[in-house]
Amino acid sequence: MNVVVIGLSHHSSPVELRERFAFAAAEIPDALKSLRDSGVACEAVILSTCNRVEIYAATPLELAKAIAELREFLLRWAGTGTEPLASSQRAGSTGGGAHQIAGEEFYAFVEPHSLRHLFKVACGLDSMVLGETEIFGQLKTAYGLAFKHGHTGARLNKAFQRAFHTAKHIRTHTNIQRGSVSVASVTVELAEKIFNSLGDREVLVIGAGDTSEKTARALLSRGAKNIVVTNRSFDRAQALAGELGGCAVPFDDWAAKFEKIDIVISSTSAPHHILNRAKLEPLMKARRQRPLLLIDIAVPRDIDPEVNFLENVYLYNVDDLQGIANDYLKLRREEIARCEVMIAEKVKSLLVVESSADFVDEGKFRFSHLRKSAQSGG
Amino acid sequence: MAWFTDRHFFLLAVAFYGLSTVYSVFLWRMGFRRDDHANYFLLLIAFALHTAAMVKRGFSVAHCPVNNLYEATTFVAWTIVAAYLVIGLLPRLRFLGAFASPVLLAIGVFALMPALDPPHGLQPEFSGALVSLHAATILLAYGAFGLGAVAAAMFLMQQHDLKFHKLRAVLSMFPPIQRLESVAVWLVFAGFILLTVGLAAGRHLPRPAGTPYWTDPKVVWSICLWFVYLTLLVLRRLRMPSSRGLAISFIAAFVILLLTFWGTNLLSPLHHP
Repeated sequence: MNVVVIGLSHHSSPVELRERFAFAAAEIPDALKSLRDSGVACEAVILSTCNRVEIYAATPLELAKAIAELREFLLRWAGTGTEPLASSQRAGSTGGGAHQIAGEEFYAFVEPHSLRHLFKVACGLDSMVLGETEIFGQLKTAYGLAFKHGHTGARLNKAFQRAFHTAKHIRTHTNIQRGSVSVASVTVELAEKIFNSLGDREVLVIGAGDTSEKTARALLSRGAKNIVVTNRSFDRAQALAGELGGCAVPFDDWAAKFEKIDIVISSTSAPHHILNRAKLEPLMKARRQRPLLLIDIAVPRDIDPEVNFLENVYLYNVDDLQGIANDYLKLRREEIARCEVMIAEKVKSLLVVESSADFVDEGKFRFSHLRKSAQSGG
Repeated sequence: MAWFTDRHFFLLAVAFYGLSTVYSVFLWRMGFRRDDHANYFLLLIAFALHTAAMVKRGFSVAHCPVNNLYEATTFVAWTIVAAYLVIGLLPRLRFLGAFASPVLLAIGVFALMPALDPPHGLQPEFSGALVSLHAATILLAYGAFGLGAVAAAMFLMQQHDLKFHKLRAVLSMFPPIQRLESVAVWLVFAGFILLTVGLAAGRHLPRPAGTPYWTDPKVVWSICLWFVYLTLLVLRRLRMPSSRGLAISFIAAFVILLLTFWGTNLLSPLHHP
């Protein structure tokens, strides 16, 4: 029995297409059952996230047939039927955004590459944000769901358990997950380099923008004590404060709250600086010169760069934060080769390579082969 | 093995301080991204050798080895490394070692100058438990001031990196700057208490007839030092100097202490009869 994987991801297809193939969590047990009932797979796991839809299957069928049937299954599930590949579209999909399925959007792997792919996914090496850990949890949930409903067996159990183990090993022994690669997480990291703990820190959000909200949420998740929101539109400030469990203050009054504030996230659309050296100096005195982290993610900038020359003030604008995130990403990329060597070793130790390699070139299944053979009547 | 004296042990300890300094440069070049186990281990070996040197000297002179400049200087270095090894048990504060080892190397090389270690007489004229307490507490205080200065240096580097958006600020395994500042202040406070106890104990020591205590140059110097550290701690309480100003003051005070320690000893009839 060979472990195969078929799917589509952010590497191969746009979101307009991926969303058509996505499985709701409640649908997955039925989908797995129908997959097993059809005889194409003895064991199966469906992974459906915003960035990928994949079926991992242990199949008794001949590999080309198994992959063709899995692909048909995906198309059927997405409501595209079994029409010629180039023209199939989901019923109800309308407008210019509707994506044509050319076939190249799917990828498929057989052993040992299917296992290597699984391991890479678990480690975050195949993710949109290289090295991110969310996929590890999503993969565990997908596997847990299949396991709970009895759709996994010896082969997939072993493969997934080993993938999770490898992901943990790689996380511990490489820098692939080191550092922050988003503005929000870089902000949290900076705060943790300045303050003893985030537990008793108060955060002021000036301007109720999307990135401010994400950053404030990231700080809250790391234990920030309180969020104060201010915005020119007080209603929006109240709405965001309500969502974040903080309090709202009128835009003209935020300076009055400044004494207790440790971190400021500013993202207004003001055409001029709303905080400058002359305004901040007395506020710092009132704060008894405690450290202050200023995050200016507005363009044009809300905070005069001059304030960074004040003692105990640490100012970062969006370019500074993005620069740090990019540097982290660069560091992660430098780790890919190391991770792949580790994965190859782990896959090798897991697998006694079966005689499947003669069917596909280097384990990567090419749909063009299938189309050619279909055209030639094979 | 009779030829292998306490000074040989100390020489070996200084060699390990040197190795630690070299490794610290490597850590610095790598952006302090690796855990500092290796440096901690090097300083642990140096500490063992250093302790062996002091114990050997202590047994040979039959009292706490703090009776000449060599012994006093090595005692200061020993207290710095001992305090570091305790603080370094906290992983993030282990990097203090990278900043401490150059200071230890400098003090060690200075202490090895032969002129600082003249041959002992049979027994110092004034000795006993109180003398040992006086000397040990004052030298421990200097050690605490030294490690406080080291923490202050680490604070300055981290603060500079954060101010100027250096990637090292987030990549390094340094603790947050607020914690570094607290560690520096607590070390200086501990040093201040020890200095106070040491000075008070010194007042009650037997001394040669006609030699005043409070006007002895070394005592005057120590009292000045006491006032300097008291002022810094009071100002810190009032949040008068900035964190950066305070860190620079801690370093400056310790550098002045090191530079004047030898000279005031030579001028003192009580300490250099």
